[in-house]
Amino acid sequence: MKFKRTLAAILAGAMLVSLAACNSGSDDASSAENASGTEATSKDTLSVCLASEPDTIDPALNSAVDGATLLAHLFSGLAKWEQDDSGKLEIVADAAEELTEGVKNDDGTITYTYKLRDGLKWSDGKDVTAGDFVFAWQRAASTELAADYGYMFEVVDGYADIWETATDDEATYVNPDAKLNVKAVDDKTIEVTLTTDVTYWNELLAFPAYFPVREDVVSNESWATDPSTYVCNGPYTIKSWEHNSLITLEKNENYFDADKVTMKTLNFYLSDDSNNMLSNFKNGTWALIDDVPTNEIAALKEEYPDEFYNVGQIGTYYVCWNINKSILPADTKLTGAEAEKAEEEIRNAVSLLFDRNYIIDDIAQGGQVPASSFVAMGLTDADGSQFYKNTGVSKDYDGYFNTSADALQSNYEQALETLKKYYDFDEASGKFTNFPTITYLYNTSEGHKAIGEYLQSALDGVGITMSLENQEWATFLNTRKQGEYTVARNGWLADYNDPISFLDMWTTASGNNDVQFGRGDHAAVKNYSLDLTSLGSDIKVENGTWAETYDVLIGQIKTTADTEKRYKMMHMAEDLLMQTGCITPLYFYTDQYMLDSSVKGFFSNPLGYKYFMYCTIEE
Amino acid sequence: MNSKTMLYIGKRILLAIFTVWVVITVTFFVMHSVPGGPFVGEKATTPAVQAAMEAKYGLDKPLGEQYLTYLKDIVTKFDFGPSLKQRGRMVIDIIADGMKTSAKLGVIAAALSAVFGIVLGAVAALRRNKLSDRIIMVITTAFVSMPSFIMGSLLLALFAIKLKVLPANGSTPAGLVLPIVTLALYPMAYITRLTRSSMLDVLGQDYIRTAKAKGVSGAKIIFGHALKNSLIPVLTYLGPMLAYIVTGSLVVEQIFAVPGIGRAFVSSITNRDYPMIMGTTIILAALIVIMNLLTDILYKVVDPRITLE
Repeated sequence: MKFKRTLAAILAGAMLVSLAACNSGSDDASSAENASGTEATSKDTLSVCLASEPDTIDPALNSAVDGATLLAHLFSGLAKWEQDDSGKLEIVADAAEELTEGVKNDDGTITYTYKLRDGLKWSDGKDVTAGDFVFAWQRAASTELAADYGYMFEVVDGYADIWETATDDEATYVNPDAKLNVKAVDDKTIEVTLTTDVTYWNELLAFPAYFPVREDVVSNESWATDPSTYVCNGPYTIKSWEHNSLITLEKNENYFDADKVTMKTLNFYLSDDSNNMLSNFKNGTWALIDDVPTNEIAALKEEYPDEFYNVGQIGTYYVCWNINKSILPADTKLTGAEAEKAEEEIRNAVSLLFDRNYIIDDIAQGGQVPASSFVAMGLTDADGSQFYKNTGVSKDYDGYFNTSADALQSNYEQALETLKKYYDFDEASGKFTNFPTITYLYNTSEGHKAIGEYLQSALDGVGITMSLENQEWATFLNTRKQGEYTVARNGWLADYNDPISFLDMWTTASGNNDVQFGRGDHAAVKNYSLDLTSLGSDIKVENGTWAETYDVLIGQIKTTADTEKRYKMMHMAEDLLMQTGCITPLYFYTDQYMLDSSVKGFFSNPLGYKYFMYCTIEE
Repeated sequence: MNSKTMLYIGKRILLAIFTVWVVITVTFFVMHSVPGGPFVGEKATTPAVQAAMEAKYGLDKPLGEQYLTYLKDIVTKFDFGPSLKQRGRMVIDIIADGMKTSAKLGVIAAALSAVFGIVLGAVAALRRNKLSDRIIMVITTAFVSMPSFIMGSLLLALFAIKLKVLPANGSTPAGLVLPIVTLALYPMAYITRLTRSSMLDVLGQDYIRTAKAKGVSGAKIIFGHALKNSLIPVLTYLGPMLAYIVTGSLVVEQIFAVPGIGRAFVSSITNRDYPMIMGTTIILAALIVIMNLLTDILYKVVDPRITLE
């Protein structure tokens, strides 16, 4: 018995020692926690979480929203986004003294001249020169860098020459030495020539790809991965960066407008798990989180009415149809343009069967807006009004059909009537009997699945069988791009406030043409008409192919300087697009985030970039 | 160590190298056969940009040539290449960053689970069928059967949200406490049960009875004979367990947002970041192979009756 007691004593001792070891660990822990706890609430440090480790924070290479937010704090371009006293967003001059008007040249191009402010410094103390901007822009548009957002320079004269390739080999450039038409007149003057008048030019100047970088800095290929080599010119510099964990920004006293910057330190925690973000928001560690778990949204709206935010975002969630996959009954005799005309009607009818309000209120739950057009809410028309409100045919509703709950029944009846023209309808069961089985493809995610299941049940109600198939993200993108699907989930967020960002993606050659317009069998289908004679052009096509109509129209839009005409043509382009029925819009995106109520002075722009520099924390 | 053992170890090392080579080859070709690529995103770049990127990273060359180049770089320069997703960073640096955190987490968790597991297991065995044994067995049964995502979420809800004593994210030292505990609980419970049954087995052996009959002190019996011999099955488990938790538990890293290798591994696959997929696979495979080898050698140390061949 005695030895057992001795052993028990020894074992208990061992446990105590280990417990003590643990305790000392948690002592450290709680003191560190206290530190981070005070960090979140102390007045000059703000801790936030937007997403996981950014792919890059090289302004030219970045193509992500979280990266753009970081870059907006680190760099100062010619222009920037700001919120005026009334809370209205505007683009104002940043490194440039003022945002000047362009001067029209004889050949239709437009030249802008910008003067840099006095005393602009890089974070290492060197002067910011006009040459740095010119270098940065040439670099961002170059074939050598091959940046995702290089096409943001498409409007600049010379861009087309740079990317012109031999038709038989897409990797061979015709003009290896081509450059953008931009030059540094002297150390403080930048002169840039655009191919045409672009309404969103000032917005582009505030876009990260247009931020300056210095040649000697970026010659080190990994410059943008380490604080010691990261030289910037904006309101903040990188103080430390623990990869995949935390990026800390510190106010840059060299920034010309440093007096206005109120937040001294910004902690960007790097995580993409929305549940984890919420835990950290709830325990007060993070003051802003840029993502919330979908199934928590309803509860959060109740629990945190003043801290849950739901703001508009310029994007559309939609269903796209592969134009080359027939959905007519197996025994149909229709071919070519006639078949396509029938399918247009069918797809548009199917679109009317969906209750968008149900999708938003019961599934997505994020305060999204029902969509009945493709160009998203938030994009403005020529007169500054909402573009989507001026589309379609009826004055009673916005868009191409009525999405209100009242119209549900009439939409349904109209859809049935149309579908009855092409399919056998069994009056007894109220179902169609020979609609071919279709498959809906989506990328693996609970949210997309729930919407897919709703679409499936809505179609099942009229006898249309739609099976669901999910694929992992990268595989899904590939399948959709290759056109190996019939119906697929899709979504698009604009990069700038101009409807063309929603329209030029549907040209035959576009890499985003998931519908496969003008490709395969559709290339020969003569079903579209275009008449620009009322706009003073001699372009008039009746029963033309997609390439003869839509592609031509987009080309015209891109080269037209007259704003009024340009927007008219963009409405025409959307009409053509919606006529095909290949785009079934479901809702306009919103951006949900949670912001601690003690934080003041925060704003975000329509592209989803978030601005923390003018924040203050109230007790 | 005799020559037979040396020969055995040599053989095992060769086998380990062969295993890693097989892993490299299979991963390389399977990876490239999966649809999608590193430069495919929601917003498509033009074919020209795509081609320019592929040329830059040598992805335009025939697959066989890419494979040979890759093998050559690994063998001659230990060069895993640049990440295709995190532009400007080398794969080896990203892995080193992730491993630092994962290893710290894993080693502490493994040590905790071994110490507590063995102690609790021994206590349970010695107090067999008494109240303390019952309590330990109930608790360990619960821990063994509870998946880590439930355990992690419970701990998070209690300590980070309800009590607010520990942070919910693993990016600070304090934030590592909860993930370590989560990681340690399952192996600790498992080791407890293993030690208990193995110790009971040993305590029933003739040589223990002989020792008792000879009047050897209780402590000497327990520590000199029983415990040492009952640890052999625990050792078998320890090696692979260590490799498993050091190489990162994705679930725990995800719940607590720990910047470890597990998270990096999974995101590299989603991103089709080819060099990153290869790099992490090779390192993780090598680690498991080495751990298994070490375990086998340790057997010999603990139990001379075991012959390695």
